[in-house]
Amino acid sequence: MATCVKAVRQFTLTRGTPCMVWIPLVKHACAPLILQQQLMKKHWTIKWRKERANKYYKVNLPDFDEVRERDKFTPDEKRIWMKKEGICQPRNFTRPMYISNTNSVFEPYVPPEGDGKASSLSKEGARERFTELKEKGKSYKELRKVRQYEDNFDTTSFAELANNIYIETHNLLQDVKKNENRLLELVTEKAYPEMTFGLDHKTLHWKFVESIEPARVVHIRTNPMITNDNIYAQITVRFHSKQVLALYDRFGRLMYGSEHLVKDVIDYVVFEKHIASLYGSWRIHGKIIPKWLPPREPLLKTYRKPNLNFEEIDNAEEKEKTDKKEEEEEKDEINEAIEKQKKKYNVEIV
Amino acid sequence: MALLCRNLLRSIATPLFRPNYQLTCIVARAFSTSQTACADFDPELKAKGIFGKKGPQKWLKYNDIVYPARKEGEPARPAEITHMRTNVKYSPDNMAYIATMIRGMSIDEALKQLSFHKKKGAHVISEVLLEAQEMAVRDHNVEFKSNLWVESSHATKGIVIKGVRRHAKRRFGEVRYKFCHYFVRLREGRPPKHYLPPPMTGYEKMEEYIREQRARRIAFSL
Repeated sequence: MATCVKAVRQFTLTRGTPCMVWIPLVKHACAPLILQQQLMKKHWTIKWRKERANKYYKVNLPDFDEVRERDKFTPDEKRIWMKKEGICQPRNFTRPMYISNTNSVFEPYVPPEGDGKASSLSKEGARERFTELKEKGKSYKELRKVRQYEDNFDTTSFAELANNIYIETHNLLQDVKKNENRLLELVTEKAYPEMTFGLDHKTLHWKFVESIEPARVVHIRTNPMITNDNIYAQITVRFHSKQVLALYDRFGRLMYGSEHLVKDVIDYVVFEKHIASLYGSWRIHGKIIPKWLPPREPLLKTYRKPNLNFEEIDNAEEKEKTDKKEEEEEKDEINEAIEKQKKKYNVEIV
Repeated sequence: MALLCRNLLRSIATPLFRPNYQLTCIVARAFSTSQTACADFDPELKAKGIFGKKGPQKWLKYNDIVYPARKEGEPARPAEITHMRTNVKYSPDNMAYIATMIRGMSIDEALKQLSFHKKKGAHVISEVLLEAQEMAVRDHNVEFKSNLWVESSHATKGIVIKGVRRHAKRRFGEVRYKFCHYFVRLREGRPPKHYLPPPMTGYEKMEEYIREQRARRIAFSL
């Protein structure tokens, strides 16, 4: 048996792993424990644990988990963290500013409900006609202003130009990466991100079939910036056409629309030009989406609704109400106390 | 009186003539810009400076591939999502065992198996899988989050920091503190029946045996 134990020892020492088949052969109950300790190559008392640890030189390992967490910080959290760490935030006082276009649509056109089909005898129809007339008058005024800068400006020829720009940009949108430079000649810096959002990982198929009605100018506005003669002009054009639209996801699977379905589309597109500039050009600036527009077709995919806990929201509202009540009560109490004091002092003074 | 005035003036003016005077330092500090201070104290920049490596770059670029639109009648292409976690403080040798375990499993099965695993790596991998699953549904148009399987899963070596330990008789040994990267690719659909080639049937084994026998080269023969 003694030889057996020896064999076990040798085996375990050389291989470095305990062999369960060998252990039952050992006679003494404590043998496996001894074996274990021999395997560990450590002293059996914990007394030397600290000394053993001291054999290693301490190394400051980088904490990549923390860095990863930090990447998820919101700007606010990041600011708090930087303040805590005593790091100065890099501040950039030179913010880039585009002055080749404005950042909004000023006095946007309000399309009449149902495309102005309401009878002029009805109340709504009459109101619509009236506002239309008013707007038209204003547009004429603005048109004169545009003509000061643009010689021979003509709304009908402009509508044609707008139609060409409209078709070309939508065709170019099918490959944004390739046509980026050309697109920025046709689209303002404000509209570009709006039009290309999410298209980098999708495939867009768009086809212009025919126009049902010729494009026409419905709205003209101008606005100065900084000085009075630095004028930007915005013209809203109405398009009524037949189009085909199909949107595919990254793997070429249909997400929205159809390749075979031709749809009638009414679009109100805003074009802008920095008319005070020599090198300004008419570019797509935005799109007007009327309030009365029916909801869009849903996505083909089913998806999970965001988990909204209505009970919590209700509770929060109630809590707010009760808090307000309490505050008011407190205020009343304070007021009462003040009045009492006043009375008291009055009495004393009197 | 004049002498006193002169002395006073001189004492005020000394900082201006002596470059090493303390006051000049204070003035200089007041004018220092924040930009330089930022570079010194940002631990991220510091970490990059030390290791000089960006880590794996290519794996996530699979997520940017846009495949052409499928024509009608063609089978839909199953979605694929790649995800990774870099520089986990864990040995790549240990990570490899866990990474190989979940290959070819459906995502739910993989998460279940990992939850029963005792090692730290299992926890890290399950975190990565959950992240990838969320990404798939959010960004890559995957309809059902359980309809995914682990197509590939592997671990590689990250940065290694070398430490020192003391031995007897004034000798020293090297300690390696290892970090690892973990990579995973999820594919939409059901997992395949055989991720690895299926075991051979008796007939196939016999065929292979005969092929081997026939392919023998007999030395010094014709």
